[in-house]
Amino acid sequence: MVRVSLTINGEKRTAEVPPETTLLKMLRETFNLTGAKLGCDVGDCGACTVIVDGKLLNSCLMLAGQVDGRDVLTIEGLATVDDLHPIQKVFEEKGSLQCGFCGPGVILSAKWLLDQNPAPSVPEIRDALAGNLCRCTGYTKMIEAIQTIARERADSVA
Amino acid sequence: MRAFDFYAAKDASDAVALLAQHGPRVKVLAGGTDLLADLKFSAASHHPQVVVDISRADDLRGIQMTDQGLRIGALVTHTEIMDSPIIREQLPALVDAAHTIGAVQTRNLGTLGGNLVTAVPSMDSGPTLVALDAIVTVAGPEGKRQMPISQFWIGPRKTVLKTSEILVDIIIPKENVGKPTHFLKFGLRKGQALALVNVAASFHVDGNTFKAPRIGLGAVAPTVIHATSAESFLEGKPITPENMAEGKAAVNDAKPINDFRASAGYRRDLIAVLTRRALEGAYELHMKRKAK
Repeated sequence: MVRVSLTINGEKRTAEVPPETTLLKMLRETFNLTGAKLGCDVGDCGACTVIVDGKLLNSCLMLAGQVDGRDVLTIEGLATVDDLHPIQKVFEEKGSLQCGFCGPGVILSAKWLLDQNPAPSVPEIRDALAGNLCRCTGYTKMIEAIQTIARERADSVA
Repeated sequence: MRAFDFYAAKDASDAVALLAQHGPRVKVLAGGTDLLADLKFSAASHHPQVVVDISRADDLRGIQMTDQGLRIGALVTHTEIMDSPIIREQLPALVDAAHTIGAVQTRNLGTLGGNLVTAVPSMDSGPTLVALDAIVTVAGPEGKRQMPISQFWIGPRKTVLKTSEILVDIIIPKENVGKPTHFLKFGLRKGQALALVNVAASFHVDGNTFKAPRIGLGAVAPTVIHATSAESFLEGKPITPENMAEGKAAVNDAKPINDFRASAGYRRDLIAVLTRRALEGAYELHMKRKAK
């Protein structure tokens, strides 16, 4: 067994899991954080996207033992059902998601992008979402939502 | 995933010791973007008993100038290459190549060393490093050894690394730091595509002639290769559109295959076009710098 102590969504957590446990499996099965989804399990689809020490990555491609001491943010750390994150609100208003399976990953990718680049161009948004496969929407409304958030933030600063 | 034992190495020598102790059914975990997919889906016969995690070995990180040249630690991620001020300034082709790999998530995890060690012929890091005559450092129980990167690979998914050896760093020789270089990849879509062909061209401009022209080709042979026919054709020739088009001699060095992504014939056509464009791109970079 591997003993892991880490911070998840601001809380200190510990677990003991078999060495072959991925970060994704530990999040879902040990901590009941099921926002990150198991899709392709090889790093293509982005449904398992989380942020570790500020880096957007696929939780299916990390072993639990590799995140010992690290800081993990999942979609559950961004907001609650009653108090959505501003990115989620705009996605909801615009109807940017349909089935929603890709949503937690897409929203974390959008957050990561806007944290780095407050005024992304469409090609930059497409680049940031290239690792999140959505088979419902065709991405158009996601891109519009991210542009809207960027504009709203710029207006509120101005 | 099947069970294995897991050890985290503190540094490079710890990693080598762990590999020597637990070999031969042992695998090295760096960024995990290839290894974890393999561990989940590869045949049982390939399955390791032990995984040695080197992702915390800080002596395998970092990008810095040394006496030998620009040293890039094996654990440097593709994102770190894209963000490195010295690489952006001196070798933007490496930034372009890193940017074509996977997506943000996999570029944040995946490492330059991992891309090279996996030894997939279509690897996007390979052609630029070949064109820059990069040197790789390997560490094992007997110490360190270095070799030109083109000698590091011996076939698809095969390198010279022995079980208890790891790749330590990649060095761009001093005289090639800043050498005008251009990388191009042709895939079937923009996001997360494997290269049908990828090419890097690099040369010094001596008066108006090609000096030390180098062309690295990927996805068209069992390993990433030097296009030696094109290199020797161009050496000392005037830099003209006609001679750049003759870079198509690179086709003679390739042995492309037919597969579901493209026919060998299509790949040969791509080599000719991309080699010319890569040479033009490297020259444009030279002219742009000169104009500054």
